[in-house]
Amino acid sequence: MRIPILKLKDCLLVSIQWELDDQTALQFQEDLLKKIHETNARGVVIDITSIDFIDSFIAKVLGDVINMSRLMGAKVVITGIQPAVAITLVELGIRLDDVMTALDLEKGLEKLQQELGD
Amino acid sequence: MYNEIISHIKNRKTEIIEEWIDRVKEAADERMISVVSEQVFQGTSYEFVDLILLNLDENNSEYKSKLEMFSEKIVRLGWPITFVVSGLRTFTHVVHDDLIQEKKISKDREGEYLEFLDNWLAPLSNEIIHTYASTWEKTVSLQKIALQELSAPLIPVVEHISIMPLVGTIDTERAKLIMENLLEGVVSHRAEVVLIDITGVPVVDTMVAHHVIQAAEAVHLVGARCMLVGIRPEIAQTIVNLGIDLNKFITTSTLRKGMEKALEMTNRKIVELEEVN
Amino acid sequence: MEIQSCVTILNEWDIVAARQLGRNVAKELGFGTVDQARITTAISELARNIYLYAGQGQLCIDRLNEQGKTGLRIIAVDEGPGIPDIRKVMEDGFSTSGGLGAGLPGVRRLMDDFNIDSNPGEGTDIRATKWLR
Repeated sequence: MRIPILKLKDCLLVSIQWELDDQTALQFQEDLLKKIHETNARGVVIDITSIDFIDSFIAKVLGDVINMSRLMGAKVVITGIQPAVAITLVELGIRLDDVMTALDLEKGLEKLQQELGD
Repeated sequence: MYNEIISHIKNRKTEIIEEWIDRVKEAADERMISVVSEQVFQGTSYEFVDLILLNLDENNSEYKSKLEMFSEKIVRLGWPITFVVSGLRTFTHVVHDDLIQEKKISKDREGEYLEFLDNWLAPLSNEIIHTYASTWEKTVSLQKIALQELSAPLIPVVEHISIMPLVGTIDTERAKLIMENLLEGVVSHRAEVVLIDITGVPVVDTMVAHHVIQAAEAVHLVGARCMLVGIRPEIAQTIVNLGIDLNKFITTSTLRKGMEKALEMTNRKIVELEEVN
Repeated sequence: MEIQSCVTILNEWDIVAARQLGRNVAKELGFGTVDQARITTAISELARNIYLYAGQGQLCIDRLNEQGKTGLRIIAVDEGPGIPDIRKVMEDGFSTSGGLGAGLPGVRRLMDDFNIDSNPGEGTDIRATKWLR
């Protein structure tokens, strides 16, 4: 199953609604980069409110996709990380220090607009 | 052997108890004597002797429940466990000595009797120790729960800003609980900035710092910012001396400064109203 | 008293199945959302290790009830190449797969008890337990 990527002005919106398996995660990475290239998007919001756990593999895919997007000139904000997920990530020892985050989709978009200087 | 001892104790109950009380008093220190009142002590001693005689009467089911009740009573009286246990040992010796004195046993069977008395009273002292121990365990677990309830509330002071005051020593288990409260609170209050106030934390060592750093990272992940306030001079010194890196944090010495900073971060400030003439 | 459920790990989809099993058992035993996430994540790491390094193996979930305490134990067993230097893989930041290297030390932090047993050429046996608070 593919994760839908929506376009809103010069931003891309992604809402991950179900548990990510390895293939879906890698497919998403590819799809998102392609879409950034096609649309010249300057910002991406990835909402993961529905995700109840992240292991080191998914964290790596997410971290990679953020760095790759940055290389292509798009800033990424991750929104809706659940408390349980945040605690698990920190305990697991995964660092996402440079990643922009926001409480929810709305705040994520606000943050992105600020960053892009609109 | 049973019957001899039973009838002996029954016959000389008063003498034995008086001798016992004297010896226990002799052994106990001043503090103990002030805690244990004479009357209660005598009453309890008689009750105890009746109880162990019941043990020898082979009426075991009644004995067991009576023993439990007796142990609980001793614990409630608040006598120190060392006092009670050594009192039991003294009782063994008193009975033994009395038996010899009254010439109920011959010299050569002395050891045998002492061993018998010991075996007879051992389950009793075990039960009493057990009651003490389980009372302590219960107290400890209750206090643990009380401590958990005391742990770290997240207070939404103004819109977008919440404060978590930390008080007392932070161990690993408490740190986990604090982290959960903190993150659930940030999300439900929709906080943008969280101030962790460590004014009430007596010692900040590497472990505490590690937990605070983890909490701050997790706060960042859910989409808010974390500030560490209430850093006293001695805490600043230990943090630097231990080589703990808090450079990624915004830190302030007082909650007040932290609050001003947090308002600034959310594009607000406190203004004094002009006096109306 | 133990009740055990197992998943055989052969491909990536079995990792998902193992996670789901673990999450369900954790929920059933009454673990909170944070502990559920910890357990699910630990299972995911261990199952992925089996898939990546051993090719195949088993991941089992035990429901524990010892001395009035309830717990969940993850048992990950494989007959793969084994781990030559256990101390090294338990160091933070060590990884042979190009992942984030959070694997085993991370799992140890997520769970309450952690035990690893491995001999080169004979396989690996990892047990990690979480107790209900």
